[in-house]
Amino acid sequence: MVHNNLNLYFDNAATSWPKPEAVYKAPEKQMRQAYGNPGRSGHTHTLESDRLLYQAREAIGRLYNFSDPGRLVFALNATDALNMAIKGFLNPDDHVLYTAMDHNSVLRPLGRLRRDGLISTTMIPCSGQGYPDLDFFEKAFRDNTSLLVINHASNVTGTIAPLKEMIESAHRRGVKVLVDAAQTAGVIPIDVLNENIDLLAFTGHKGLFGPTGTGGLYVAPWIDLKPLREGGTGSQSEIDIHPESMPERLEAGTLNSVGLAGLLEGVNFILETGVEEIHRKESELRDYLYEQLQNTGGLTLYGPASSSQSVAVLSFTLDGADCGEIGYILESSYGILCRTGLHCAPLAHQAIGTFPEGTVRLSPGYFSSQDDLDYLVNAVREIVQLASE
Amino acid sequence: MASSCYITFPSTFFAIRAESVLKGQSYFFKMVPVPRSISSSCGTALRCECEDITTLKDRLLQSDLELEGFYRLEEKGLKKPVVTELYLDDQETR
Ligand SMILES: Cc1ncc(COP(=O)(O)O)c(C=O)c1O
Repeated sequence: MVHNNLNLYFDNAATSWPKPEAVYKAPEKQMRQAYGNPGRSGHTHTLESDRLLYQAREAIGRLYNFSDPGRLVFALNATDALNMAIKGFLNPDDHVLYTAMDHNSVLRPLGRLRRDGLISTTMIPCSGQGYPDLDFFEKAFRDNTSLLVINHASNVTGTIAPLKEMIESAHRRGVKVLVDAAQTAGVIPIDVLNENIDLLAFTGHKGLFGPTGTGGLYVAPWIDLKPLREGGTGSQSEIDIHPESMPERLEAGTLNSVGLAGLLEGVNFILETGVEEIHRKESELRDYLYEQLQNTGGLTLYGPASSSQSVAVLSFTLDGADCGEIGYILESSYGILCRTGLHCAPLAHQAIGTFPEGTVRLSPGYFSSQDDLDYLVNAVREIVQLASE
Repeated sequence: MASSCYITFPSTFFAIRAESVLKGQSYFFKMVPVPRSISSSCGTALRCECEDITTLKDRLLQSDLELEGFYRLEEKGLKKPVVTELYLDDQETR
């Protein structure tokens, strides 16, 4: 929502808005000028679609530092990628570690497999600030532990997990690591090669500035996943077994080339701007917001005080007030858009003590300005004032 | 009659990857729909000069590409072309 030249959209953790201009244009161009079914027909429109998908895989490889574009599997979103990774990797009797900050897109696939008696799991508790308890973690491994799922950054508190430390620990015991980068892709630097990430799931419509319905899974060369779906690939059509070679192995059916055209432009924007620059700007915004709101009577802020340990997400509650009501006033009286309640991460709310009411979550983005934040801070203070009267 | 050569691929991904690897180098090649007289796993093939095909094959294998087959086609005007499958030296793909 734009209001007197202010951008009052503070829900970038749900989906980013606005997008870079090219992201709006590319899907239209793809549909108007080069609309062919990727991989299916061999004519020039098909080839253009194939090239676009290849370029998108390459661009994402540059962003996360891997060189073989065939290791990038497109997905509908992070949820889809996490399902592919979890259900494609695990075998009966495996044990899985995950953290209290995990999103339902991790908790529910694991929950189903556990309820069906196929796997066992251990949740690593997190502090009130959203940090995993590393002492507990070190003792939680079992002989049959095969996978650790790490929430790279929490969508409730913004807390960034100690990725390097946790990956090293897991690898020392031969345990593979799946990173949920839904809140960090495009926002903080990720280097799958140097950080030794085995599986990285991300969504296209948040930090990567793409359209909804886009996302992906990076699968390290030493990881082999069972495909969840099989079908048409446009190749080896005479055989009734799905092709083994990546990325087709994990991609069946016509891909979302229209959406991925937009995602490619989003990733190109990030590569041109630099993830470090995006992170720097978003950190400034997060720090400013925290500073301005921290000593406001009745307000409780959640997550780390410093943006060095957090992405640009800030949750708060107000003593005696209902979050949904605050969200309603923010929108109806100020035109401010944000998210309230439980943010699809019930255990995270338990960890920080906001279950079941939830929080008001403010998530500025790269395109938010200082003026936008000042307007937001003022609105929150006025609501606090109103509540105390 | 003119003849040209073709490289086929197990998947579209590898066809496009081949194009991307060879782009900007001095070979003359084109990505084309697979001729009906050749059978292939994937709908797109690389057409090149027959004298280049071994060099192109080597260059592609160096880049970890999976290739499927190699063919020479002699055009016969409107009649069916004559297809010869080529078994290139050191071929790791068959
Ligand atoms: C941490 C985390 N994981 C996973 C997801 C799921 O993303 P998507 O809804 O795009 O699948 C989200 C966002 O909602 C998230 O914040």
